[in-house]
Amino acid sequence: MSQDLAQIEQEIRTILAAFLQNPPELTGSTDLIKDLNLESIQIMEFVVEIEDHYDVAIDLESLSNVHTISQLAEVVVRNQQ
Amino acid sequence: MHLLSKFDEVAATRNQLSQGGIDPTDVEMEQMISATEAIIRGRRTILAGTNNYLGLTFDPECIAAGQAALAAEGTGTTGSRMANGNYHSHRALELELAQFYGVNHAMVFSTGYSANIGTLTALLAPGDCVMLDADAHASLYDGCRMSGADVYRFKHNDVDSLDNRLRRLEDRASRTLIITEGLYSILGDHAPLADFAEVKRRYGAFLFVDEAHSLGIYGDHGRGLAEEAGVEADVDFIVGTFSKSLGSTGGFCVSHHDVVKLFRYASRPYIFTASPCPSVIATTRVALRLLQERPELREQLWRNARSLYEGLAGLGLTLGPDVSPVVGVRLADRDQALGVWHQLLDAGVYTNLIAPPASPDGSSLLRVSTSAAHTAAQVDEVVTAFSVVLAGQNPLG
Repeated sequence: MSQDLAQIEQEIRTILAAFLQNPPELTGSTDLIKDLNLESIQIMEFVVEIEDHYDVAIDLESLSNVHTISQLAEVVVRNQQ
Repeated sequence: MHLLSKFDEVAATRNQLSQGGIDPTDVEMEQMISATEAIIRGRRTILAGTNNYLGLTFDPECIAAGQAALAAEGTGTTGSRMANGNYHSHRALELELAQFYGVNHAMVFSTGYSANIGTLTALLAPGDCVMLDADAHASLYDGCRMSGADVYRFKHNDVDSLDNRLRRLEDRASRTLIITEGLYSILGDHAPLADFAEVKRRYGAFLFVDEAHSLGIYGDHGRGLAEEAGVEADVDFIVGTFSKSLGSTGGFCVSHHDVVKLFRYASRPYIFTASPCPSVIATTRVALRLLQERPELREQLWRNARSLYEGLAGLGLTLGPDVSPVVGVRLADRDQALGVWHQLLDAGVYTNLIAPPASPDGSSLLRVSTSAAHTAAQVDEVVTAFSVVLAGQNPLG
């Protein structure tokens, strides 16, 4: 894991904790749907927040295989390049 | 797990919805009485959950035109226009639509859904980009996905959100189609089209507006929100439907871009769907003419819309942000929304239950719509029914 990726993953965990009202412990492998029971609309709202935070544009297809916080961090890194 | 196991969850949801004895997603109008009333479960019921904005479904001229077309041209076309030929009336309707919008090109589709799918899949290709309003209709999402373009969502009706995302695309912005709707069909809010048009011009992008729910409602001539906002020249593609203000079924795309002529060779829903029945085209043509000849329908619609909105607001209900012929009444959760929906139906008022995941922002609400054909007494009756049903309840829990 590169430093950038690790840092972004940590930041996403912090942003997600603020986004959720009563967050459980969040790790890179936390699954947004299975572990957090997020509805699709909540995930989309969260992704919009992430896009604005990192000033990136993430297309919907890139999100189709994103399940965990780590995977979301990887997509953010790819879109920053 | 087997092939059919995926439906277990659907069945559970359906059973939950049906607990009140009737599934809100599967209501039967046992007998239509008029544009605004039907018999439901044996009871005369006010229809406050349709898209019959101008109330033309029972217009005598439309009905006569449909009957005449049935007699003269038969019940159906039996195939697509590309494979099996055009009827004169298909082309006549396209010409009339183009004249109505003041553009060069119009293309008719068999449904509103296929108009969006058919236009977007013809227009977009891999490598293109789409900026899609987050609350856009499913047909817009589906069309974008099927096109292979890169799809980006921006916050609903949020100009800054759109602007920021276009900026991030850098030189790809000029290959981007911005997609919005005119009137949004659940909350009754509408797009800031003038602002979107300014952003579009600045980035050299293209603008697509789905006016399905705003045709016949907005603008001095009823052409929709683009006319109302004074930005018709900035809108590259307008898609609409015949199934709402025009009271039939089908859809269309209009544009000043000559490429629309070529969509016929690239739009699979157009190529592979049977063309609209002659009677449907005939009633649509008359309805389009009546929309232009009878502005009093639009005026009556807005009187009813204001009366309904003010009446429901007066009950202390939390409504969508804009006065329009569609009013979204927010409720605490799905259980309360379902309960209120059933009680309203028992009181003789049919509305639309909207609950997650179908709701635009994850909320539970009732969609209440009005029509030019509603009488003032019917609008009052709808408001009174809400008042009686919600007496003693906290609408937001």
